[in-house]
Amino acid sequence: MRRERKLGTPGTAVLLAGLVLGPSAGLLAGSEPEEFFETKIRPLFAAQCQSCHDAKQKLGGLDLTRREGLDREGSGGPVIVPGDAGTSELIRAVRYESKIKMPPTGKLSATEIADLTEWVRMGAPWPGLRTARRTDTAGGAFTEEEKSWWSFQPVLRQDPPAVRSADWVSTPIDNFILARLENENFEPAPAADKLTLLRRVTYDLTGLPPTEREIKDYLADDSAEAYETVVERLLDSSRYGERWGRHWLDVARYADSTGVDEDHKYPFAWKYRDYVVDAFNDDIPFDRFLQEQIAGDLFPAEEAGTVNARGIIATGFLALGPKLIAEQDKKKMLYDMIDEQIEVVGKAVLGLTLQCARCHDHKFDPIRQRDYYSMASIFRSTRQVEDWRAHVSELYFMPLVPEAESVQYFSHQKKIKLRDQQIKNIVEEQSAAYVMRVLPGVRKYLIAAREVKDAPPAPVPATAASAETAAEPDRDEALIRVASKHELDAVRLRKWIEYLKPTDEVRPHLNRLLEAGATELPAVAEHYRAEFEKTASKRYADLAAWRVEFDKALAKGEEPPERPRFFGGENRFFTETTTSNGPLGVSREQRKKVFSRDAFERLTQLEADLRELKRTLPPKPPMANAVAEEDPFQQRIFVGGNVHVTGAAVPKAFPAVLTHGKQPEITGISGRMELARWLSSPENPLTVRVIANRIWQWHFGEGLVRTPNNFGRLGAPPTHPELLDYLSSEFVNSGWSFKAMHRLIVFSNAYRMSTETASQARETDPDNRLWSHFNRRRMDVEEIRDSLLAIEGTIDFGMGGTLQSGEGQGMTTTNQLPHFDASKSYRRTLYLPLRRANIPKLLTLFDFADAATSTGARSSTNVAPQALFMMNSEFVSRVTEGFARRVLAERRTPDEQRVRQAWLMTLAKEPTAAEIEEAIDYISAFRKQSLDKDLTEVTSKRMEGPHRSPDYPAYHYNASTLAAWQSYCRVLLASNDFIYIQ
Amino acid sequence: MLLRWSTCGFGLLGLRGLLAAEESRNPLAPKQPHLQARAKRAIFIFMHGGPSHLDIYDPKPRLERDHGKPLPFERPLTFAEEQVGGLLKSPFQFKRHGESGIPLSELFPKLARHVDDMCIIRSMVGDSVAHGGALMQLHTGTNTFTRPSWGSWVVYGLGTENQNLPGFITLKPTLFHGGSKNYSAGFLPAAYEGTAIGYAALGPDDLKEPIQYLERKGLSPELQRFELDMLQKMNRRSAEQANFDPQLEGRIQAFELAARMQTEAPEAFDIAKESEITRKLYGLDQEETRDLGWQCLVARRLSERGVRFVQVSHTYRVGNPVGWDAHSRLVPNHVGRAKQVDQPISALLTDMKARGLLDDTLVICSGEFGRTPVAQSGDGRDHNPYGYTSWMAGAGVKHGFIYGATDEFGYHAVEDRMHIHDLHATVLHILGLDHKKLTYFHGGRDFRLTDVAGNVAEKLLA
Repeated sequence: MRRERKLGTPGTAVLLAGLVLGPSAGLLAGSEPEEFFETKIRPLFAAQCQSCHDAKQKLGGLDLTRREGLDREGSGGPVIVPGDAGTSELIRAVRYESKIKMPPTGKLSATEIADLTEWVRMGAPWPGLRTARRTDTAGGAFTEEEKSWWSFQPVLRQDPPAVRSADWVSTPIDNFILARLENENFEPAPAADKLTLLRRVTYDLTGLPPTEREIKDYLADDSAEAYETVVERLLDSSRYGERWGRHWLDVARYADSTGVDEDHKYPFAWKYRDYVVDAFNDDIPFDRFLQEQIAGDLFPAEEAGTVNARGIIATGFLALGPKLIAEQDKKKMLYDMIDEQIEVVGKAVLGLTLQCARCHDHKFDPIRQRDYYSMASIFRSTRQVEDWRAHVSELYFMPLVPEAESVQYFSHQKKIKLRDQQIKNIVEEQSAAYVMRVLPGVRKYLIAAREVKDAPPAPVPATAASAETAAEPDRDEALIRVASKHELDAVRLRKWIEYLKPTDEVRPHLNRLLEAGATELPAVAEHYRAEFEKTASKRYADLAAWRVEFDKALAKGEEPPERPRFFGGENRFFTETTTSNGPLGVSREQRKKVFSRDAFERLTQLEADLRELKRTLPPKPPMANAVAEEDPFQQRIFVGGNVHVTGAAVPKAFPAVLTHGKQPEITGISGRMELARWLSSPENPLTVRVIANRIWQWHFGEGLVRTPNNFGRLGAPPTHPELLDYLSSEFVNSGWSFKAMHRLIVFSNAYRMSTETASQARETDPDNRLWSHFNRRRMDVEEIRDSLLAIEGTIDFGMGGTLQSGEGQGMTTTNQLPHFDASKSYRRTLYLPLRRANIPKLLTLFDFADAATSTGARSSTNVAPQALFMMNSEFVSRVTEGFARRVLAERRTPDEQRVRQAWLMTLAKEPTAAEIEEAIDYISAFRKQSLDKDLTEVTSKRMEGPHRSPDYPAYHYNASTLAAWQSYCRVLLASNDFIYIQ
Repeated sequence: MLLRWSTCGFGLLGLRGLLAAEESRNPLAPKQPHLQARAKRAIFIFMHGGPSHLDIYDPKPRLERDHGKPLPFERPLTFAEEQVGGLLKSPFQFKRHGESGIPLSELFPKLARHVDDMCIIRSMVGDSVAHGGALMQLHTGTNTFTRPSWGSWVVYGLGTENQNLPGFITLKPTLFHGGSKNYSAGFLPAAYEGTAIGYAALGPDDLKEPIQYLERKGLSPELQRFELDMLQKMNRRSAEQANFDPQLEGRIQAFELAARMQTEAPEAFDIAKESEITRKLYGLDQEETRDLGWQCLVARRLSERGVRFVQVSHTYRVGNPVGWDAHSRLVPNHVGRAKQVDQPISALLTDMKARGLLDDTLVICSGEFGRTPVAQSGDGRDHNPYGYTSWMAGAGVKHGFIYGATDEFGYHAVEDRMHIHDLHATVLHILGLDHKKLTYFHGGRDFRLTDVAGNVAEKLLA
């Protein structure tokens, strides 16, 4: 816009002629010099020059955001001579050859100077907006290679291949696995034994160990359907949604705070977590689940007169990412939030690293920068925070009741705010009037205060009793003397003296007053008074005028104008003396005396009003951390990803390589609804493949594609592409049902193989890409902690809600440990509060998903601190004690039976006779050794916590027996057989 | 090609498998550096809040002259935009010290004796005007995302010398402005995560068990070993049954390392073993200096034992509620803070030098940014990431040396600008790592501490 307006100004004509018709003519076609400008020069100007030389600042009349701005306003003239670098002022300035050296903050690098010189030599090409697009998006058309990337191809319904050992096949999955194994001359591993399979599938579907009862029931059931019965029981359990919901929460990078810098709280994040758990338990079709998370707020409510609370909560998927809300480059902050959403949608749903195209076209995948900003356009038209321009932006909370209801609360709150302001206004007005009344006397008070200050110190008092209060009474004497001499109010004079006392603050503005000699003092005091009056009259007038506008707006029920702001540093003498406890301030107690009677009455009435308003505030409506529609926004490409350098405008759209020229029409404000539909369409080959692969991975420990969040060129290709497509089409055919997929998978023989690894597999397929055996896997941290609590017998299966306290967006700015003490909770691990900046220690210790970004697969490490935790933590000590007490509970149980019980509870395994003997030997040896030791510490400590029992002495076992069993229980819980699922 | 693949392909895979197994057994084993290392390990002293370079390291006569006048050029973005006023001269006196004649202000009388061992970088540059972003950039290279801490990168690149102690230890870190993200391993394996010893609010006396879970109360070492032997017997048996799956092997090793740490680590933190003179030197007998003194002394003990990267933090806590963040009342703030750090830091340099540790240890000291030459609220200074001072000492850097410069107001770095990326590249270089080669593949691409930036400041290398 600015461009067109400026084009016609006479001063630029000459320069423009040179630029457009000179050597640079013809550049608009999009050739090399243009690219040179866009990649080298425009970013350089943006980074180094435009903070002073832009359209707003125009220092020296120079504006380096536009071609015509090169011709300085005023008498400066053009700073470059196209084609002649040597005489161009700009070049001489950056070379530090002329008097003006630019930038003043330091010479540019030699390369940068060379680039600028080259650019001027080329004739200073400066392409217009029309063609600037060229470098924003290098490739319009996609190459055949780009288009034919495997994961972009339509999902093909695959027929299960024929196999030689047809009797191994249980579900069609087995055809795909076995066909390949047979082809490579591999044997599938033998089936896992009954209890190993029970333990595997129980952890897999619920994240918990099978209980003794479940084990016994299963062993007792020798029908052909025994396994099916178990699977159906597990799928029906609410524990299932907690386990599988948590898988999705990894992908959705769920947490309860903004993380990054100030770690503000998301007070309602837990509602999204509960929504996810419920969605899995209810087997909500995945396409709908996805749609709700992208655009749930835009779906109509199921019941008239309500809002779609569930849908709003679901958008937490977009809303709950890490956010840097205290960032001061507010525009960058906003686009970082948008970037984060593009990233999570890309990785979680499409398996693409879309965020790589923020600064340039994607280096590996056919995602153009243009595609990125087309997506950004959608999220830019979506509300991210309450006010992104605020100093520290406020999080956005959406009410979960109809507007008519929430409006009552908010308008009531607004009334409170306005009443509060009215009160402040009266106080301000009356205080100002008071100040102006007493202002003429200020000079006298200042002189008197100095007189008291300079009075010779009184002699040291003789008695010890008066010594304590020595200094003050004597100053008082001087004060009273001086006050009566000048006929001043002693109380007010004391305040002035207090004010002028030295503090550890640097107060240069008082130096003159404090240092003035006796003769110049009256003049100096008068100067201070006069300066005070200048500021006071200006400010008071401004404020009075504003109050008039405020009252007018209030009467009309309109939004009142913003209060004028003053800079406190401008006249510190004024600011400091007029605070309510300053020498010219009016304290609350003085109001009645100082304010006009009418004003005081109004004030009293308003204060009563305010109390009543606060009392009758309706309950706060339920809220969610969610997103909403924002004003539609015309997004432009940011050159080089720099939010301050705008390029061509882009429409809202989805990545072009995936739409095959059939870009769905976007009519909604943000386009999220269209995005949701496009993502969840069975036609979208990525969405369904990515989720089918995840389901496989969550069962088998590894995906068919081993890079679950990256199906692009840097990702791994699928080990079994036909199987992946088979699973994908089955998933869609089943109505996007997770539970249908679980049955398909856990009933397969591929799933039921043991972890036994043949030497052929170990040597030639160490990563088990052929799936010739089941992968042994370490429990994740939820499984570890939940198992410990279950075995201790203390686990609390209460569902949902939050363990985080407080409602607002409170942040972490103290060094007191803020996070929740996980060791004091018995709830399942997924319910522990997740403050991003302070994830509970135990969780990070065992490779919890970093909630900073979508996690496709957690790592699984074995490090010493984990071993220390198992050996020494109070948590494990408590758990092993509870465990040992359970094992010891029955007096008559023989020890062999106790060992057997401990094994079933932890390892879901029958010990051999030798293992039982070994255990009993260990326990008795431990007991014998510990008898020699002083166990008092152990016993006294035991009186704390959940195992504290008043009838402790009545137990049939003593401290050393308990200690020995506790030690053995610890060995079991620390063992590889426990922590690994076979 | 095909033939070659089929003959050596599996052999290669086998070798990679073996290496992977070794890595999973001990990810912290010492590794060969890319380059000739100039220092073997590092201590990073972090000053939280943003100490004022203009009042400590970087005297500006021009501020003296133009005190109270407006800044003569466009002021870049600051944090507290509205309260910023005219130029503010330093209320502190500067004096030249040592043979090098490097000036330091009166705030650091003790550190001033070490200027001939220091390499003062007066041209630091960062990208964030707010604390959170600035802390994270200093610690991880980015102010926007969660990325591995530089300590994690160092240990990932070099492993560590002492297998009985963690390779990256951060003493009493801050819990906010990024909190644990400042020492997290990010996407690197958890083995490279910084081990936090307590947190800022705790005093040295609250840290009886410095490393978490190091001690089991009420059980004798003999019985513990007896228990561990039983565990390892079971574990070895199942590993045998599983054909020595490297994961299971790795876990057996982890328990052995843990047992060794239990004996070694408490000793490393036991400052009672130090002489009275040493403890006094670090200021452990004074309330003001006790906290940082303890950290500095422990840092020396850890370095001495081969811990690769140790961080010491002077951060917000009781008696120091806002760190160096002097938005107002610069004088009492900086006088108070300087009293807390001057003695401990100079003691660390004295002690390290006497023990020869400065010959192979790099010491780095930095805040998250400096402060503005313009006043805030009349007697304070706002945040300034555009030009500020950090310093290094010890192995790998020139001594008694000033690197870079700010403009005559101390606002922008103008000479030999040292962006945080450059600082990171330089520190890695000194430790023998090429910042361009130290990469980790994650989420579809290789990542670096320095992202796509960073230049080694060759001029300051010794």
